[in-house]
Amino acid sequence: MKDNGYLDDRSRAGLHPIAELRGVSKRFGDVLAADNLDLSISSGEFLSFLGPSGCGKTTALRMLAGFETPTSGEVLIDDQVVNDLEAHRRPVNMVFQSYALFPHLTVEQNIGYGLRQQRPRLGKDTIREKVGQALDVVRLSGFEKRRIWEMSGGQQQRVALARAIVNQPKLLLLDEPLAALDRKLRKEMQIELQDLQRQIGITFVLVTHDQEEALSLSDRVCVMGEGRIIQIGTPQELYDSPRSRYVADFVGTSNFFEGRVTASGAGRATVVLKNGMPVEGRVTAEAAPAGEACVSVRPEQIRLSRSDRTGIEVVVHNRIFLGEHTEYLVRNGTLGDFLVLSPRQSELNDGPFNTGETAWASWEAGSAVVLEKS
Amino acid sequence: MTQRARNWLLLTPATAWFLVMLVLPVSVVLIFSFGERGDGGGYVPAFTLEQYANLPARWAAFKNTMVLAPLGTVAAMLIAYPLAYFLAVRTSQKWKTMLLVLVIVPFWTSILIRSYAWIFILGGRGIPALLEMIGIEGVRLIYTPFAVTIGIIYGYLPLMVFPIFVSLDRLDKRLLEASSDLGARPWATFLQVTLPLSIPGVATGCLLVFILLMGEFLIPALLGGGKVFFVGNALVDLFLQSRNWAYGSAVAVTLIVVMLVSVTIYMRLIARLNTQREDVSLM
Repeated sequence: MKDNGYLDDRSRAGLHPIAELRGVSKRFGDVLAADNLDLSISSGEFLSFLGPSGCGKTTALRMLAGFETPTSGEVLIDDQVVNDLEAHRRPVNMVFQSYALFPHLTVEQNIGYGLRQQRPRLGKDTIREKVGQALDVVRLSGFEKRRIWEMSGGQQQRVALARAIVNQPKLLLLDEPLAALDRKLRKEMQIELQDLQRQIGITFVLVTHDQEEALSLSDRVCVMGEGRIIQIGTPQELYDSPRSRYVADFVGTSNFFEGRVTASGAGRATVVLKNGMPVEGRVTAEAAPAGEACVSVRPEQIRLSRSDRTGIEVVVHNRIFLGEHTEYLVRNGTLGDFLVLSPRQSELNDGPFNTGETAWASWEAGSAVVLEKS
Repeated sequence: MTQRARNWLLLTPATAWFLVMLVLPVSVVLIFSFGERGDGGGYVPAFTLEQYANLPARWAAFKNTMVLAPLGTVAAMLIAYPLAYFLAVRTSQKWKTMLLVLVIVPFWTSILIRSYAWIFILGGRGIPALLEMIGIEGVRLIYTPFAVTIGIIYGYLPLMVFPIFVSLDRLDKRLLEASSDLGARPWATFLQVTLPLSIPGVATGCLLVFILLMGEFLIPALLGGGKVFFVGNALVDLFLQSRNWAYGSAVAVTLIVVMLVSVTIYMRLIARLNTQREDVSLM
């Protein structure tokens, strides 16, 4: 439990963990898909597993669902160890990546499927009523008798959601649920997902490789890489205080400047960059790096200026107009290329800069983060 | 050349084949069935229903066919389904191909040789001899309807396994996970997801086996030993032995009609099952 100080704060605040992973590992032959995962999911939160493909996020989700048994460690749901509990006995439902809707059943029958499995049996009227409510929630009333293949991708997505939430699971697992939708629809569904979660109050666990999706939807994001949990935190914590270069790079865009640490203490460190310039930054990891290190600065935190000749001297190499912002790719002979995102407001004062023009790049001391070199 | 002309040109070989190899012979048989037997055998043109009036004389062959063909089909299906399920759902990709080949291998040997093998297995020195060793005497297997059914199941099993295997293999395995995730026990998942989605394969397999079985004559001839006669055997006998072409044609026409009627009823049933899917909730 090294990386989740935030979580400890939460549990101290008295939030009940609905599910936990305790030292969970999963090995497939020679591949260690999940490596000693420790995680506590609070009741009612929206948590995302974020990482590139093969990072173990889907394996983690499948262990919560009961499709995979951990090689070691314990999976808990509602304080019960469920390692050996089959998927059909777990109070957990999943929205599959390609929905996995039953093609031989109607919309109504798909949604009622879970209810029909309950023992003692539910009455037909009860089932109909609950299915009706679920259809209402996903705004598909009137589509009861439709066949799955008569529905659009977005509609199928909602049927899949309704099919899962109608059972009122303790945990709703979502495996890249929006990956198959086009960009516009994805945006809409993201908002719907968030509304839905607030409305029904079920704990959501989402798996995604899309950092934008994870950041915009989740209360907490669990960044994974090579089967391990790299960092857990709120989207803002991950963005502002990444504890490793991996997280800084994966969550949002960042510029990295390599150098040597010359002084550190009190949560700060000074790094001398390759051009001899000393830079101060915050230390987010447990211990300040020693020796080789890198400084991470977000593109929007760098200011370009032609009059204020402090900071790094650069040549504007490329300019991309983005409306509210302008993105510059700038070049320094020693430090290489990096990105600068200038808001329109500052452009009015000092910009815009033309390609080939010389300018000075600088940032506030507090916005830089000093990280291990790799 | 216009698109239309090209279409006709492409259809010509199939049409010609269909006319010469199917429509023509069936028409000939139909015409013969209203004729009479010549003195030395063969066919004499006439228009009489005499041959059809004589059909009850061959009732046994029809009865055997109508009982054993559906029975064999159902038995083959019941044996093929678990096998296909095992191959498609339970077997790893590595073994799948090899095991499938093992299912087809018997197909590469002549049905004649394979049926002969069964004559020995079911005959006096085969299973009955083994049963005698443990004290069960007087069991007769060869030349019984049982022997014919065994032969049928054995011979037609691959034909049944394949369509079922394909439908089960194509089945999206995530649907099974989804079903389990929604609380269905393994058996409930089978009844509500696997089985309904593999019905098309089962239907195809049954149709294929049933149609071929209706015309079967080799297996009854070898394993039925002249005691368990199919319509196919009656035809061989009428055309080649007694050279009564007119009567043989009447039997053939009747067989075709019986086959068409049963296949039509079968197709109707399957079609109804498919449209009824809406309220098929097997549980």
